[in-house]
Amino acid sequence: MIAYGEKIREIAKKLLAEERVDLIIGFKQGTLPLMTEPVMIKEPEKTDQLYWSSFCSMNLANYLPKRKEKIGIIAKGCDSRNIAVHIVENQIQREQLYIIGVPCTGMVDRRKIQSLVDGKEVREAIESDEELTIKGNGFEQTVKKIDYLQDNCITCMHRNPVIHDELVGDLVEERKDPDPYDDVKEIEELAPNEKWELYSNLIKDCTRCYACRNACPLCYCPTCFVDEADPQWVGKSIDPTDTMTFHILRAFHCAGRCTDCGACQQACPVDINVRLFTRKLNKDALELYGCEAGLSIEERPPLDTYQPDDYDKFIR
Amino acid sequence: MSETVITREEIKEFIKSLQGSYEVFAPVREGGYHRFKQLTGDEAADLDFSNTRLSPKSLLFPQSERMFEFTLDETNEDSHILKETPKEYPPAVVFGIRPCDAKALRLVNVNFDNPEFTDPWWAKRLDSMTFIGLGCNDPCSTCFCTSVGCGPFHEEGLDILLFDLGERYLAKALTDKGEQLLGQGGFQEDADVDTRKRAGELKKEAEHKISSHVPTDKLKDKDLLNLFDAPFWDEVAFACINCGTCTFLCPTCWCFDIQDEVSKNQGDRIRNWDSCMFPLFTLHASGHNPRSEKVQRARQRFMHKLKYYVDKYGNGVACVGCGRCVNYCPVNIDIREVFKLMNEW
Amino acid sequence: MGIEPERLHFSWISSSEAPKFAEVATEVIETVRKAGPVKKLVKTRAEVV
Repeated sequence: MIAYGEKIREIAKKLLAEERVDLIIGFKQGTLPLMTEPVMIKEPEKTDQLYWSSFCSMNLANYLPKRKEKIGIIAKGCDSRNIAVHIVENQIQREQLYIIGVPCTGMVDRRKIQSLVDGKEVREAIESDEELTIKGNGFEQTVKKIDYLQDNCITCMHRNPVIHDELVGDLVEERKDPDPYDDVKEIEELAPNEKWELYSNLIKDCTRCYACRNACPLCYCPTCFVDEADPQWVGKSIDPTDTMTFHILRAFHCAGRCTDCGACQQACPVDINVRLFTRKLNKDALELYGCEAGLSIEERPPLDTYQPDDYDKFIR
Repeated sequence: MSETVITREEIKEFIKSLQGSYEVFAPVREGGYHRFKQLTGDEAADLDFSNTRLSPKSLLFPQSERMFEFTLDETNEDSHILKETPKEYPPAVVFGIRPCDAKALRLVNVNFDNPEFTDPWWAKRLDSMTFIGLGCNDPCSTCFCTSVGCGPFHEEGLDILLFDLGERYLAKALTDKGEQLLGQGGFQEDADVDTRKRAGELKKEAEHKISSHVPTDKLKDKDLLNLFDAPFWDEVAFACINCGTCTFLCPTCWCFDIQDEVSKNQGDRIRNWDSCMFPLFTLHASGHNPRSEKVQRARQRFMHKLKYYVDKYGNGVACVGCGRCVNYCPVNIDIREVFKLMNEW
Repeated sequence: MGIEPERLHFSWISSSEAPKFAEVATEVIETVRKAGPVKKLVKTRAEVV
């Protein structure tokens, strides 16, 4: 996957030089070893800034809504699904986009790497196809990337872009994992009070910085309900009920639309696995409506359509 | 002022003994990271850390704090009268605070306690606290404290500074408050010349280890509007998702919002951290928002820290170089790069 | 999430089904009453310092 960088730069340069797009949205190398920064490039000569690594974990579809230009965008499997969601939800037009698809073998979780070295500072990271070598003061360690993938990448069933105009490499094999929802099933087994305790504990450190919401491509409402001032729907303090209200509503607003790209979890500054909220809803959308978000630009999301055979066992 | 040698064992005992007469706050590791917490029972500080994930500003300036309360119950004689929420300010010790965070408190103090206004809660808490700092032997690669008037063994805002010499600490009293607190430990061993020399070397070595440097020299003389209108802001802000991570983790971000919450007849006036990253921060009652675009909001944060503050207070930038925003910005917007852009523009 | 299932009821009742409406309403009241006062997602006063 690390060879993708060269190909991305080549494609981007060509697209800009031939004026087939006005701009490219991609990643540039971060100022820290395990980070990258989303970047917008407008001039062909600046395309050498574009970069690819196993730390391109943010979802670039987040930068599309309401843009008017013709855009070249780099898209992993999950990004491409969120682009599809945007197209379905009229946030961007298919014709505006030139999707540079990246067959993805998974993003490495920077926090897992950091806990591997017990919070010591990683000062250098060198990547090969399979391995990652990290160096810092007094340590050097080489690990297999596959052992340190983001949780959502471990269970990902759509590593290849679902829509694309060009690919930067050969398609990768999709996982045949029959069941990616083991963690959700465990929670489903819990009694209501145990569930409540689990979720209350999960968010006890939340600072309501909204990084999870803002890293999410789905959260493009002009004004989020938590930011409404008149009427004000929810308090702004870190009162546990208010914080829980935010998390529950955020998650439910993503129901049937979430691609489990993991950007929310990666963005959280206090390491909350906010995906535990959305994953149950993804499982329900799949099991009850046969829907996985963003696999097609034709299909409306399950909660804004009605089919006579929709699941209705909960109604008596 | 005294300079005393204290063994690791002694300092543990000392901190424990203080718990009788002080509230003691110290870094502990919970979950995957360190945070300041009040020590209770046998819980010990964990000083094997580079810094806490969130800054200790919340000890003086909690993220959410009830300021006033009121009742709407007309049968109550105090109906509709705003009353200050009673608070206590027991003597407290903040143990293991890093020099950058201690300096940050002094910096925030210009906002909360100045000739014009005094925030009583902040000021009383600051007054009730004694700060025992721990110098940084091994600064991170993202630390740039020495560029912004601070340093790994900077003394400003501290009452005592600890030098970690391996098996022993050198404790340097910096204020009367610190001297008095150290006195309670009954430590016998004054630091000899060699130990003092070793501490001095430690400081120099640490300063030498700082690998990040940012330029600040030209910020003061820059034309404000020229910087405001600089073309680089679009590029700086492109990746920004306008979350509050940088502002909430920052030890010097002091902005807050005041909210009234009413439930039945009970009302509370609550102060919450706010963030210039949020659209609501500047939304007018008319519906107009002078900072409706994310580029304006991202620019505000940097302009406030690196230009408006510089011009208004004349004591440098409103940044202590702790590197938290650099490390935890989900999209890797790096204030060190912005320093360069602004200073060189 | 941990909201007690007893508190959540969905029903489809036509305007012509008055007896069903009465029956469902009674049952809802009975099960909710049995569950006791709600404690989750209830805020009377902000839990802040």
